[in-house]
Formats: sequence, C-alpha cells, structure tokens
Amino acid sequence: MAMRTRARSTRLLVVALVSASLVTITIDYRQGDGGPLAAAGDAALTLISPLQEAVSKVTQPIGNFFSTLVRLPSIRRELEDAREQIAEFRAEFGEVRSGQMRLAELEAILGLQDSLGRRLETLAAEVIAYSVSNFEWTIGIDHGSSDGVEEDMAVIASGGLAGHVVRTGPSSSVVRLIIDPDSAVAGRLEGSGEPGLLVGDGDADLRMELVDADTDVMPDENVVTAGFRIPGVGPSLYPPNILIGTVSRVLSDEGALEKSITVRPAVDFSSLHVVLVVLSSGTG
Amino acid sequence: MRRAILLTVVVVTALLLQSTVLPNATLLGAKPELMYLLAISFGALEGPASGAIAGFVGGMAQDFLLNQPKGITALTLTLLGYAIGMLRQFIVSPSPLLPVFLVAGGTFSGILFYGVVTFLLGQMDTSWLYQLRVAALSGLYNALLTPIAFPILRRAVEGSRSQRVFRW
Repeated sequence: MAMRTRARSTRLLVVALVSASLVTITIDYRQGDGGPLAAAGDAALTLISPLQEAVSKVTQPIGNFFSTLVRLPSIRRELEDAREQIAEFRAEFGEVRSGQMRLAELEAILGLQDSLGRRLETLAAEVIAYSVSNFEWTIGIDHGSSDGVEEDMAVIASGGLAGHVVRTGPSSSVVRLIIDPDSAVAGRLEGSGEPGLLVGDGDADLRMELVDADTDVMPDENVVTAGFRIPGVGPSLYPPNILIGTVSRVLSDEGALEKSITVRPAVDFSSLHVVLVVLSSGTG
Repeated sequence: MRRAILLTVVVVTALLLQSTVLPNATLLGAKPELMYLLAISFGALEGPASGAIAGFVGGMAQDFLLNQPKGITALTLTLLGYAIGMLRQFIVSPSPLLPVFLVAGGTFSGILFYGVVTFLLGQMDTSWLYQLRVAALSGLYNALLTPIAFPILRRAVEGSRSQRVFRW
C-alpha cells in the first residue's frame, strides 16, 4: 500500500515538474527578451560570472594544457604552414619589383588601417567562460554594462571578427560568436565587392548566402564586413571592413540562383583568450 | 535541507566545470553534458523522484545561462532522471559497469529527445546529423567521466541522507 502511494506521489511530482517546465517554455517563448524570465537569466549571469572568472583564472593553465594536447596535430600543421609562408615571403621580397608602385600600395593599406584604428574605440576583455551547451557558440567576457558594454556591440579578436554582445550583466557579458547558427553577418567579397550573408554552422565553416550566381569568386579570397543592414535578417552590428575569413569552397551549380560558398573564419575560436569590444559604431 | 544544499553545490560545480574547464578538453569537438550525468546519477542512486528533482533543478539552472527558450533542458532532464530511476528499479545486475551504461544510453537518448523538443518548437539551428554526432560523443564522454563522478556523487548522496529520510 505504502509502495503504491509512493509511486503515485512520484508520478504527481513528475507531472508537476514537467508542467512547470512547459509553463516556463511557454512564458519565455511568448515574452522573448523583455520578460521577467529574461531578467532572471541576467541575474543568473550576474551571479555565476564572478565564479566563472575565478575558476577560469585558476584552471586556465590546466585548460591550456588539455587544449594544446588536443590541438597538437593542428598546431604542427600551423607550424608547417607558417614555415611555408616565411619561405614565400622571402621569395617575394627577393624579387625585384617596381618599387614606387609597391610603396604606394603599402601606404594606402597603412592609411586605411590607421583610419579604421582611429575611428573604432575598443575595450579589451578577457574570455572567462564558454557556453554550457553543445548547441550554442557563445563566450563570456569579464566586462559588462558598468564598463560601457552594451548589447549588439561588435566583438573582434586577433585575426578578425568574433561576434557581438547578446547579454550584459554589470561586470560580465555574453558574446554570440559568428559561428553560432543564430548569427548572420552582412559581408562582402573583397575582390568583387559582391555582398552576401554569412551564417554560422557551428564548428564547420561559415556559409555565405545570397551571393549572385554570376559572381566571380576566388579561392582564399578575403571576406570582410559590409557594414550595412540586409533587410529582414538582422541588424547591422558590425563596422565595415573587418576581416571575417577567407573563401574555403565554391560550388557552382548550373541553373542555381545563388552561389554556394563556404568561408573559413579568420579567428581561431578554439583558443580565444582576449577579445576587443567595439564601443563605437565605427560608421561615423 | 541537507539535500537541497548538496544539490545546489553539485549543480553550481557542474555548471562551472562545463563552462570553464571542459570546453578546452572536448572529445572530437563535443563537450560532455554534466547536467545529464547528474540527473542520471541521482535517478540511479536515489530513485525516480530524486532523479526528476535533480534533473529539473540542474536543467533549469543550465537553461537560465542559455539564449533560447528556458525550460527545454529542464523538461528533458526531469523526464530523463525519472526514466532512469524507474529503469533502475527493474535491473538487478550487480555489475559495477551498470552506471556507465546507464549514463551512456541516458545521455544519448536525452540529447536526442532535447533535439526533438527544440525541433518541434522551431528552435533547432543545427542539422540532425550534428545532433546525432553530439549525442553519441557526449554520451561516450559522459560514460568516460562516470567512473570518477559517480562514486563522488554516491558518497555525497549517502552523506546527506541523514536523520530523516525524504520520501515522495
């Protein structure tokens, strides 16, 4: 008899918990980012981020050890690539080139970088956490609203564009990386200037959509942020001309309306430690 | 009371590990799913009611750190903890490997269930192939962590089972 009562109360408990979960899903689904549950989520972030910061400071050497161990083959490959590049550069520098033209080209690039650097006001932040889920590509950083970080601000890392801020606490923020499937960045091919939309695909390369089928696309061509809004797909969060990545694959399908392009991100997301939050929009 | 404190400490520890250390030590790109491991362990050690409560609390805590409708992980883990607790009552095997198999199978099925729920809610951003891959790899990773985590959890649960037995 006692057994049966216990089984019944267990069932009741499970029904209650499942109902509570379903109610939570429904409320959150309907209220989106402005509801009380979103506020509770921000409170959870505020509570856990100091702990994450402390733990990640203590365990970073251990984490680095493991990630180096896991990435050994790719590190070896990178080393070989770097050696090849050095050899190429040496060969290039050895060649006699038309000096004046090259100088003008370099000065132009330098000038562009300078103007970009002056326009963008940035804040360096340390990565203190990663997403708890296998289905979300985000990072936690150690600066928040009290440091001037706001939602939708662009985040760059060494190499290029990393993502944008999606949630802020007083002293921490969450950044959605461009490889997250929910991320869509307006970009353009550097060679042809043709715009497209870069959508994340997790650990795989980004997909560049909406590129006209007639566009000439070179392998390894750079893709940079376009800095404008594509209607209906998301805000223009990113300042123009930040490197996103390089074209890794182009598939031309006869009769298709758009080209199928994949882009390898310039940033190595497996080992992000420091990022820059772009505090100004950079368009002004 | 002791049980509530234990659950809070275990859930917070698991969340911290899951978000700081373990992303640096992935198995072919997949992180372990410690909340699944937790719900399954509580279900196996303490029965369906405890499994469901641990799953609900752990899942809800994880949901509040994610940027998707909250409650999906809580729903998944409540049912998973309950199911493992019920299943455990019908298995009489004394094999020390039983928790490993329960964790592997439970994590695999749980992640697939999670995929189905996110799909039905229109929140699934990844392909089914990726979902299957993560379910298999995280199941394997969780199974590898079980020989370390399960004995610690068992000791902690037995330690917190004090004067009054909490019955549902």
